[in-house]
Parts: sequence; structure tokens; C-alpha cells
Amino acid sequence: MSENDDFNIEDILAESSSELPAPAPTTTLPIPASPSEAEFMGESGAVTGKARMEAAYGTGDGEGQGTAMVAQSATVQAGTIFHQIYRPWRGNLNPRWARNWSIFRHHVYGLFSKGHRPWPMTTKLFVVIVLFGSLLPIITMAMSVLTGLSGLMDFYGVSRANLWGHVLGVFHNTCCWPLLTALVVGGLISEDRQHGTSAIYFSRPITRTDYTLMKYLSAAVILSMIIVFSYCAYYAAAIILNNEGWAYLLDTFPFFLGGLVAAVMLVVTFTSIGLALSSLSSGRFFPAVAFLGIIFGSRILAFLIKLLFDRDTLYLLSPYDNLAHVGQWMMGLNTTYDFPAAWSFVALLLMNGVSLYMLISRVNSLEVTRE
Amino acid sequence: MGWSRPTIRRIDGVDAMSGEWIVETHDLVKKYGEHIALDSVNLNIRPGATGLLGPNGAGKSTLLKTVLGLIALTSGSGKVLGHDIATEGAKIRQRIGYMPEYDCLIPDMEAIHQVRYAGELLGMNSNSAVQRAHEVLEYVGLRDQRYRAVSTFSTGMEQATKLACSLIHDPDLLICDEPTNGLDATARGFMLDTLFQVVKQGGRSIIMSSHLMDDVERICDRMLMIHKGQVIAQGRIEDLKAIDREIEISVWGGASRIEEKLKDMGQSVRRTGRVMRITRSDESTYGTIIQAAAETDVQIRKMEDYEPSLEDLFIVIMDRLGYSVKSSKDLLDGPTPTMDQAALQGRKVA
Repeated sequence: MSENDDFNIEDILAESSSELPAPAPTTTLPIPASPSEAEFMGESGAVTGKARMEAAYGTGDGEGQGTAMVAQSATVQAGTIFHQIYRPWRGNLNPRWARNWSIFRHHVYGLFSKGHRPWPMTTKLFVVIVLFGSLLPIITMAMSVLTGLSGLMDFYGVSRANLWGHVLGVFHNTCCWPLLTALVVGGLISEDRQHGTSAIYFSRPITRTDYTLMKYLSAAVILSMIIVFSYCAYYAAAIILNNEGWAYLLDTFPFFLGGLVAAVMLVVTFTSIGLALSSLSSGRFFPAVAFLGIIFGSRILAFLIKLLFDRDTLYLLSPYDNLAHVGQWMMGLNTTYDFPAAWSFVALLLMNGVSLYMLISRVNSLEVTRE
Repeated sequence: MGWSRPTIRRIDGVDAMSGEWIVETHDLVKKYGEHIALDSVNLNIRPGATGLLGPNGAGKSTLLKTVLGLIALTSGSGKVLGHDIATEGAKIRQRIGYMPEYDCLIPDMEAIHQVRYAGELLGMNSNSAVQRAHEVLEYVGLRDQRYRAVSTFSTGMEQATKLACSLIHDPDLLICDEPTNGLDATARGFMLDTLFQVVKQGGRSIIMSSHLMDDVERICDRMLMIHKGQVIAQGRIEDLKAIDREIEISVWGGASRIEEKLKDMGQSVRRTGRVMRITRSDESTYGTIIQAAAETDVQIRKMEDYEPSLEDLFIVIMDRLGYSVKSSKDLLDGPTPTMDQAALQGRKVA
């Protein structure tokens, strides 16, 4: 068979039947002798399928022995090997993109279905709660339209501040996004180190670059499914519910885009920091706690320094505040920080750079063989 | 817009290789800083089952990583299944099944999905991987347990799952790192039988690293022994045993006397109680033993050629390298004994 030949089951069956010896006689089941069995085995007479029906339904001549199949299986010891025959496999192996897709699918599909990455139930629950929580403004706007209470729409409707607040507001960045990131990203790499699963990846044609990229992409997509999706849904719902036209769209779309970029920056930054911490540890607890410590700790520290010394430069150490600052600048809001937004942007780049460097160097240390 | 999926066609068997070797290396050197992990390793491994032996820290893991095409070599070259180990690591790993020594399974995942995922990571499409996962799990004896989470498995079942993961794409070469580690007698026997079938029935090759000489001897017809990063013995086990032909005698009435006498006559004697083993240099050794018995007035109740086990072979090789060990366990489980590099260079067995 040449390299370009297609998979042919006939060839394989012929080859395997010539290569493999007949299976050794093993445990014999007490199959009741039936005259019509010979037909089933093709020894004589026409093949009518009658014997198969008799075995299945216990009808016809063999009615008196109708308990056969169920009773037989009970006599077999669990786990007994009847015919241990090595079967060759002659399929095609797909290239790199398919392998990478399988890593991505393993992580993302695991949130929704069995057979993929077994996410903890708490993580799944939290994802659902945060998703519904972040969609609350849509429900409120819908209620406003249904009940005619315009106050609700004024409060929750689309505005620069509300678009900014949906992604970078203090509530979301205290109760939702950091906790979500900690739960999602915490064990992505650390559990591979803990369980030795890295050997499964690296003893196969998966490069460390592919591994890191796919883990990163998986985490970023899961976070985006909540943060970016709920943001887009919020904006779209405002247009639909208020029956807005092109003028409204032209007026608000730049702010929406600014918020979208801010949301992507938030997802990227949180994923970078979270994965870097995950690659440092073996277990999901430390990375999750360390991530929350960095996000909340830097904010609290900067806040205290500002309170005591009226200097807010320390906010440059806080990933959230840098994101909030850059977000304010992009959406044309008055900034609440004394230093230029460019500093925050550079700080964000540095944070991402350092995180990615840590991530890459730590992934390089993952072993196939433990020594 | 229509588009076609690019596929990589597997090259089956060893025909595509440059020669008859599944692994061949030339002067492989791997250094970690000042530490030499592999020192001028020249390997020629034929298709079939090959045991990889060596004390802790000998370089087994580095060698396995080299065969998998995972590490950048300091110098030297080599091919695995016809692919260059320096540049074609991904192609090599597509054709190798690797069964790690330690845990490598996702605990809360069901065995069937675990094995399927292992196949998908090799590039198998999902449907083929599921179908094949059922086959290999049945093959390794987990047919009825395939929908159980791996975390509920016994050690034997975990090992079997790892084997299924490594067999899913029907590899040309299977690398097993301590496959019977932690298994009870029944599970160990089943694992060894299964591996034996993979070689004999499936026609696949195995490189098996193990501390258990019996396991290696049961599966493998060839062995490779490395020590301090150097290959100190390689070849067919039967051939290597020839370096240690002995005559075993059981004596009565003066075992110490005949032992002394034989030593005086220039023979190499190992003694346990009334049983002695004398190195057989040539046919005249039999006469020498009888002469010694006559002169010391000792009865020889039994005299026969002794068929050495792999354990004996290992001890003899280590003795020749300057170690005094009672069993392979002393050397394999304990810290690596020190010895002069000069002695190692001068006493290579093969």
C-alpha cells in the first residue's frame, strides 16, 4: 500500500486474519444447543435470521430455552478476557492543527459536556452564576421596556460610564472577573504538573509552544465567553429593546469598541497572570489564591498609600487599575488617576511580558520522565 | 468554499528506515552543564523487545527522552524508526507509544475518554479515537471498567490504562518505563503477558526499562545496560550470558577445603553453603574440579552447567566494573556507587 492509498478495510481484515493466530479456547458459556444454530453459523440451509430472532425474543421452536442470553451473561466473571488479540490500526494521523484543536476542545467543551476536561462543579456553577449576573442589566432593561419605568433604563441603559462599568466597574472586578479567572485558570497547568499529565502531551507530537498557546487560548476563550459575550449582549440588547436606529449606533459604537478593546485587554492580562501563576505551582489552590492576592492586594496597597500620602503612582502596580485607567482613556471618560494613561499602558505591557516569560520558562521545565 | 484536510500518512513497519535498526545512534553526548548524562552512546537496537537496565542516575531517562526526540543533544547523531532524532522529533513521537512510569492520567476522567484524548493528541480524529479506545481498553483487560473514572482504579488498572493510551495509535515502537511498578503478582503477570503479545502477536517493538530482571528476561530477547551515561552492555541476552558460563556443584564433606583448593588452582569460585559455582573457562574446568575433589577428599553429589539468569549477568557485569553487589536491588534501588572513570573505560563488557 503506497503512502497515498486510501484506507481499505478489506486489506486490513485480510492482513489481520493472516497475521493473527486463532484465539485460544477460553471460558465456554453454557449456550444451549439449538438445531437452528447451524443456520446462523452458515453451516447449512438458507440464512433467514430466524435463529437470531429466537435468541433475542425466545420465540419459535426454541421457546423453552428463551432465557438463554440474560442467564449466560450472569455466569461470566466481570473483567474476564475472552480473546486478547492485538488488532492493528491503519488510520491516518492528522497534522498539527487537529492536535491543537483537541487540546482546545478538551478544555472548553469540558465546561458543558462529559468526556472532556473534568472541571470542578464549583467552577461550572460559578461560571453560570457570573454569566447570569453579568446579563442582569439586560433583564433590567427588558423590565423597563415592559413596565414603562424609564428610570430603570436611564440607570442601566447604554452610556459611556455603563459600558466602561460593565467591563471595568469596581463591582464586576471585585465580585466576578477575578474570582472567575482564579477558578478557571488556577489548575490549567498546575494540575498537569500535579498529576503528571504533561507526559501525555509531550510524549506525543505536541510542542511546548502548541501546549502553551492552546492552554492560553482555552482560558481566554472561556473568560471571553462571559466577559466579552455579556458586554456585546448588553450593547445589542440596548439597541433592540429601545428600537434604536443608525444615528444611535453611529453615536455609541466608538464607545462600544473602546469597551470591547478594554474587555479583550482585561481577558488577556488576567489570563497571562493567572496562567503564569498556574505554571509555578502543582495544584489549583496556590495559583487561585495568589491571583486574587495580586489583584486585590495591589489595589488595597495602592489605595492605602493614596489615603496616607496622597500619592497614587502605586496604582501602576495594580493590574486592575491599569486596565481601568486605559479603559477610561479609550472611552473618553474623565480619568481618576493623576498620572498619564500611557504609563498604565506600559505597565500593562510589562505585566503581560513578565507573565508570559514566566509561563514559557515554567512550561519548558515540565517533564516527560520524572527523575 | 471546499477545502481538504491535510493528513500525514503513517509509514508502517521498519522498511522506511535506513537499515535494520529501530534505534541507531552515533557518539551521542548530552551534557547538563558540567554533568555528562550521555557519554558517547552508540546504540543499535533491532526490532523486537529490548530491556533497558541501569542504576539510578545512569542516564536511562535521558536516553528515553533522546529516543523520543525531546532533548537537544550536545553532539552526535541518531535515528529512531528512520527519523533523525535532532530534527524530526514530532514524526518520531507519532510512531512511538510511551508508557510513563509515574501517574500521567487525569484522575476524574473516565478511562474511555482518557484513552480517546490520548489518541486525539496524536492527531487521530475523534471517531477513530473512540473506536480504537474501545478496542485497546478491551485488549488491556478494562472492557468492563472503561466507563469508570481513573481515580477509582487500582494501580494495576491505572497501568493498564496507561498502556492503552500508548497503544491507541498502534505504534511501531512502544517505550515502557517500569510497566510493572507497584503491581501485584496477578496484575504483573497480565501486564507482562500483554506486552509479550504486543511483540509476538502484534509484531511491534518494545524498549522496556525495568528494575525487575525477571520482567525483562520474560519479555525481552535483547538488553541494553547503561551506566554513568555509557553503554556497558548490549545485545541478545542469551549471547551476553555466555560471558558468565559457570559450573554448579553440590559437595559433601569439606566445602571449605574444596573451595580453597579450587582457588589455589586458579579457579573463580562463588559459594553459598554446599553449593558452589565455578567459572567455566574451557572443557578442562570439569577435570580441574574433579581433581580438586579427589585431592581434598570431598564428594561431589551433583555437577552441571549453570544457566545464569539476567540477575546473575547483571551482577557479573557490575563485578567486572568494580562493584561488589549481592543483587541487582542493591545497585538499582540504592544510590549510585562511585567508581573510577578509568576503571569503567577499561572494563566495558561489550
